[in-house]
Amino acid sequence: MSMIEIRNVRKGFGALNVLDDISFTVEKGETVCLIGASGSGKSTLLRCINLLEEVDGGTIRVLDQDLSELTDVNAYRRRVGMVFQQFNLFENRNVLENCTVAQRKVLKRDRKEAEEIALIQLEKVGMAGFRNAYPSTLSGGQKQRVAIARALCMDPEILLFDEPTSALDPEMVGEVLNVIRELSNEDMTMVIVTHEMNFARDVADRIVFMDRGIILEEGSPKQIFDHPKNERTAQFLSRVLDRDI
Amino acid sequence: MSFQKCLEILVCYLPSFLLGIRTTLLVAFSGTLFGLLIGLIVGGIRAIRPDRTASRGKRRMKKILDILLRIYIEVFRGTPMMVQAVFIYYLVYSNIVRWDKMTAAIFVISINTGAYMAEIVRSGIQAIDKGQNEAARSLGMSSFQTMESVILPQAIRNAFPAIGNELIVNIKDSSVLMIISITELMFQSNSIAGTTYRFTETYFVTAMIYLFLTGTSSIVLGWIERKMNHTRTSIPQSDTTFSSISLASKGGEDS
Repeated sequence: MSMIEIRNVRKGFGALNVLDDISFTVEKGETVCLIGASGSGKSTLLRCINLLEEVDGGTIRVLDQDLSELTDVNAYRRRVGMVFQQFNLFENRNVLENCTVAQRKVLKRDRKEAEEIALIQLEKVGMAGFRNAYPSTLSGGQKQRVAIARALCMDPEILLFDEPTSALDPEMVGEVLNVIRELSNEDMTMVIVTHEMNFARDVADRIVFMDRGIILEEGSPKQIFDHPKNERTAQFLSRVLDRDI
Repeated sequence: MSFQKCLEILVCYLPSFLLGIRTTLLVAFSGTLFGLLIGLIVGGIRAIRPDRTASRGKRRMKKILDILLRIYIEVFRGTPMMVQAVFIYYLVYSNIVRWDKMTAAIFVISINTGAYMAEIVRSGIQAIDKGQNEAARSLGMSSFQTMESVILPQAIRNAFPAIGNELIVNIKDSSVLMIISITELMFQSNSIAGTTYRFTETYFVTAMIYLFLTGTSSIVLGWIERKMNHTRTSIPQSDTTFSSISLASKGGEDS
């Protein structure tokens, strides 16, 4: 069974076609990186998987459910975690509460259990020592690690990352990528939109290259980075990889 | 006008003034509190956008509700509270129930404040970054849970100065409720002035008492505000301080 199965998905904002006949699948335990220039539709696709956006056509099946036929969106969403570019930590709650509020409200765990689970996940991302800190006192990298722990607390079966390091200063990027890399090693099913090419190459089982709302090419990192078949892929890669050096 | 006389009036009629102060504070505080409650509900409803997955019936209901709430807000912000007080008092008194004046006063000031609070709460909610909402929803929280445990607490904190302002306004504006003869400070002052024939001195005392009440409230509100903001005092963050240095070492960071 594929964890995510996307067929002929279309989405437009007004006259602009953001997603144009997109199809791809993600298998259990797979790490898929979506790459491509800004505005190519990567983030929109990710947001459609979590129903933050709705598709105009085509079907998305996740965890064996057709998203257009869902009766309980909230029950679905708690099985699919999301990590945002802007972290979106709850500003009115400290690190520990950020990780427990949804556990208690949605999963109906009691405080003690929720806090234990939160501390395990915070430990994992190296933020347990900041349990009483408020988001405004944390650095970007720390915030993002807490956001990842917060998502993990819900025991998601899939994790979606929407440019998790794009809002970070370069020196913070590494700490966040290391956490994601670790999750990938634990066979978490993940879809990651990223501009970090070296990271994508390292961590992905499969790379999907998007351009102007369509998937131009997909394959193993080796195939995409070393032998891109499509000319636009090659152009894009040489552009971003040049800049990286 | 002599200050000597002012002092005499204050001392002589202290029990009357105190009764007035008590009523004024009771009406102002309960009006602000109930008003806030109304505002939270009305403003909260107005700020909710129905899910794209919501049924057509639900959307239509929301639209009708929006129009009704809008009318409520416009009517109560657009007419003087004095007029609202007499109209509602007599309307209920002669048609529904012979209610007591104090109840009527608190009722009127509450729904009047509620109209203002609704707008304060709504704009407070809309000022919250939509990422907060998305994050909560992505964790499986319902729109109500999100509103109650993530959005509203932040909106209230941001709107606190405006909410506190309503209390100050209510302490002063409850004076118009003397029109339905409740024994608040202005009503008492009129009685005292009528007895002493010392209008200037009496109303000077009255003004000073109002100033004292609002001034004290201001100080207390400011103190609460500082307490509330305690959690978000941010220490300088390293990610802004060192960004220029770290750019140089970027190459080694993620390879």
